Amino acid sequence: MTRHKFHKELFTYRGGGELPSIVVAENENLQSKFVVQKVLELREQGIPLQDMSVLFRSSYLSFDLEIELNKANIPFVKFGGFKFIETAHVKDLVAYLRVIENPRDAVAWNRILLLAEGVGPRTAEKVIQDVLARRNTSPPDGTSTKLPSLWSQFDQYAEPVRSLFETLKGISQSHILPADKVAQLLNYYQPIFTKRYDDYNKRRKDLDMFQQICERYKEVGTLLADLALEPTTESVADITAPGTDDEKLILSTIHSAKGLEWNSVFVLYALDGRFPVTRAALDDDQMEEERRLMYVACTRAKEHLYITYPINVYDRESGLVLSKPSRFIAGLPEELLDTWVIDEE
Amino acid sequence: MKKYTLKKELFKADDTFVDQKKNFLIDYRNQLNPAQYEAVSSVNGPHLIIAGAGTGKTRTITYRVAYLVELGVHPESILLLTFTRRAAQEMLRRASILLDARCEKVAGGTFHSFANSTLRQYAPLIGFESTFTILDQGDAEDVVNLLRTQMKLDTRERRFPRKKTLFDIFSKAVNRLVPIPEVISGEYPHFEQHTEDILHLQKAYEMYKAQYNLMDYDDMLIYLRKLLRDNDAVRTKISERYKYIMVDEYQDTNRIQAEIVKLLSSRHENVLVVGDDSQSIYSFRGATIRNILDFPEEHPNCKIIKLEENYRSTQPILNLTNEILRRARA
Repeated sequence: MTRHKFHKELFTYRGGGELPSIVVAENENLQSKFVVQKVLELREQGIPLQDMSVLFRSSYLSFDLEIELNKANIPFVKFGGFKFIETAHVKDLVAYLRVIENPRDAVAWNRILLLAEGVGPRTAEKVIQDVLARRNTSPPDGTSTKLPSLWSQFDQYAEPVRSLFETLKGISQSHILPADKVAQLLNYYQPIFTKRYDDYNKRRKDLDMFQQICERYKEVGTLLADLALEPTTESVADITAPGTDDEKLILSTIHSAKGLEWNSVFVLYALDGRFPVTRAALDDDQMEEERRLMYVACTRAKEHLYITYPINVYDRESGLVLSKPSRFIAGLPEELLDTWVIDEE
Repeated sequence: MKKYTLKKELFKADDTFVDQKKNFLIDYRNQLNPAQYEAVSSVNGPHLIIAGAGTGKTRTITYRVAYLVELGVHPESILLLTFTRRAAQEMLRRASILLDARCEKVAGGTFHSFANSTLRQYAPLIGFESTFTILDQGDAEDVVNLLRTQMKLDTRERRFPRKKTLFDIFSKAVNRLVPIPEVISGEYPHFEQHTEDILHLQKAYEMYKAQYNLMDYDDMLIYLRKLLRDNDAVRTKISERYKYIMVDEYQDTNRIQAEIVKLLSSRHENVLVVGDDSQSIYSFRGATIRNILDFPEEHPNCKIIKLEENYRSTQPILNLTNEILRRARA
């Protein structure tokens, strides 16, 4: 017979503790207001903001809460969004380094050629084919690719491409450290950068950070592999590093909260149709995974656990009004949960 | 520098360890709870550690590294595979503080970083140069898009899938070891009439990567598996190097990763995996809960140890979470 789970019964020798609460709100905004007020209360009791988190099934479910948090001046960080390495300007810089490491990297070539003034897809394609042709005639021992000679063979091109090759030639020599390569690259890239991105002032700090990261490396190859495999993210773990003065409430999807813990946890939108998501009903395996998500969310809490859901939520997809609590917390024995209803003053 | 003498009588001819009393520097029995101790002191053969939420999983792995090193296992012959590199570094750092600097020599990292270093070493055997570039998902999607345009698949009358969807289909097929047509019919039935074209596109994508010395994330695992499966000499060499394999977060591994673990440990079966089936939440990126659930069947004589004492939450919270699990499909 197929096994579906390993039975387990967690226990603690630590005594005490209050019952987890399930909180019903008349609508989404009241749910948000409840979280805001409760967060402030807990903080009054001495729990710092970064020791509390609000977890949700899908990223969009916290939008209304974010507005209320802003209104109440509660600082928060939301986990998710773009990773540093995925931002366009950092990807630009990485692409220059990629072609000096692997001159056959047509993807990176395409990116940096199109960045050059007046270069279109056609020219880019032509240059790439030329590079490959040259590359293929050099001995295939892997080392020759890094010789500056490869980069000197492209003087016939028009100015923007020629100065790109000049730059690459300058930094391709292996004795130049990655951070110095990047410094030289930035001289070349700066005008492209300011021209291409209207908000370059905001983006500039990422380039500084990129250079800082490069300082740690002796070889471009290792740097690139690390960037690809273990991208620097603004992860929850980074933000909540001990000793930080920056007191911020954590907002996170459940997936991103894996492995973490907080004194107080709010599980937002525990509403059937949102969590579990509607489509999970079609598939037993998916529904079981939704249940495990609820399990992961609730097991992040050390002392206080509030599971909240709004009612009267119109679901465009199905045309239904969602009002039932998540099936994973519905119909549980009364002694396991306190049920709260929100009342407005 | 401290001198450490290896005791000859501890080693059998086959280089595995005799289970015997030894004076350890660390008092494992008193610093761990009984289940943790059992996990830490289990040395040879396959082991499955079911580590519930907040039950000291990191602590257990850390102590086991120290325990193996204290037993006299060469740190370089221990391989610790984790979900993030940070996790591996943290465990080895703690083990070094616990015991001594020998623990820093343990090979630790993610499946992908292990694949990266192994593949660069053996690149010519799989038809690559050791300077291959790793494509992240955005890059990979761009390549797919480029080929899609080149092959004029975007001008069809019937809507052809977008680059993200296409890459998703390729990746799911790889990670779940399922043929592409099956992925399409299962999850994208509305694109079934394009199956032939999607297959052609996938071929072109493979050729493009080979031509330009590129690998995407999935390729790294695929090629590592291929290297280990098809090349007896390499497999033997690698499995003789890593005599003790530990895998963290086993509930979030995909099928290729499970096969890699199996290949790596096929010679000695000294493989200990840690995870919690109840926290398997990454099926959308190809992970399968079946790996952890079927581990005992895949590795006969496997010992299962459950960590259930929780150090995080109050009992009322645990009562609720236990109840949520109790209602899960049996």
